[in-house]
Amino acid sequence: MKTLADLKKIREKAQEEMKLRGGNVRMKIVVGMGTSGIAMGAREVMKTFLEEISNRSLTDVLVTQTGEKGLSSMEPVVDVIEDGKDKITYGNMSPEKVKKVVVEHIVNGRIVSEYVVATGN
Amino acid sequence: MQDISLHLLDVIENSVRAGAKQIKVRVIQNGPDNYLRLIIEDDGCGMDSQTLEMAQNPFYTTKEEREKKVGLGIPLFKQNAEASGGAFKIASEPGFGTVMTVDFQLDHIDRMPLGNLKDTLLGAVVGHPEVDFYLNLIYQSGCCKQSFLFDTAAIKEELGDIPLTYPDVIEYIDQSLYEGILNTRMEDV
Repeated sequence: MKTLADLKKIREKAQEEMKLRGGNVRMKIVVGMGTSGIAMGAREVMKTFLEEISNRSLTDVLVTQTGEKGLSSMEPVVDVIEDGKDKITYGNMSPEKVKKVVVEHIVNGRIVSEYVVATGN
Repeated sequence: MQDISLHLLDVIENSVRAGAKQIKVRVIQNGPDNYLRLIIEDDGCGMDSQTLEMAQNPFYTTKEEREKKVGLGIPLFKQNAEASGGAFKIASEPGFGTVMTVDFQLDHIDRMPLGNLKDTLLGAVVGHPEVDFYLNLIYQSGCCKQSFLFDTAAIKEELGDIPLTYPDVIEYIDQSLYEGILNTRMEDV
C-alpha cells in the first residue's frame, strides 16, 4: 500500500534534483479535455503523455488539462508551449502519435509537422 | 461517450471551468440495493435555477465566445442514467457550488460500463494541480463494505513545491488509485 511516507522520499529525491538543475519548467503540454475531446479519446492521450513522462523521467515537463478550444473537428487537440517559442498545436492525436511527439518534439526539440494543425497564438 | 467514467471526466472539467477549488467525487457500488451511484460535488460558482434547467437542455452551452451551439455533456449523462433504470439529480446554488447525483441500476442490461476510472482520475488530478480532489470509492456487498479515500490536498502538502507531474509522483498517484480501485472492486464494473 502506498503511504504518505513514500511521498516524503519522492520529495527529497526531487529536491535534490532541482538543486542540480535549477528547477525550471522547460515545456508545458496542454491537453484539450472538452466534451468532444473526451469523446474522441483525449483521456487516452492524456494518459499516454503521463506514462511517457514517467517512463522517461522527464522532470522538467508539465502536463495539464483544459476545456474546449474551438477545434472540435480535430480533437483530441494538444498544445506544446515552450518559453520564447511559438505555441504548437497538434490535432487528431492518438496514443501512438503522442509517443512520437514525446520522442521527437519534447525530448529532441524537433516539431512533428505532419500532426501540427496550428501554430502561434 | 462509451463509459461512465468519461462522463465523470466531462463533469469534472465543467467544475474546473466553474472555478472550483475543491471537487469531491464519490463512487458507490451497492450490490444488495442494486445501484451504482456517482456523487460529484464542487465549490465552483454554481448556477441559478434558470441556468440549471438550461444546463440539462442539449442546445445550451456556457461556451458562448466561440461558435459552439450545443452542450451535450450533461444531457447525455442524464439520458444514459435514465436509460438504465437510474436517475439524474443536480442541485446548485450561485456562489456555493453544484452537486450532481447520478444513479445507474447496477445489473441493468443497458447500463454503460464504469470504464477506466483510474486513468480518468489520474488525468484530472495531475492535469488540474490548482484543484483539490477528494475521492471516495465505496463497495458494498451483502456482507462487507470496502472504502477507499484519496485526498490530494494531503499529497500536495507533503510534496511542497514538487509538481504533480514529477515522474515519481505520477507513478505514486497511478499506483494508489490502482490499489484503491482493486480493493473496492471497481476495475471491471
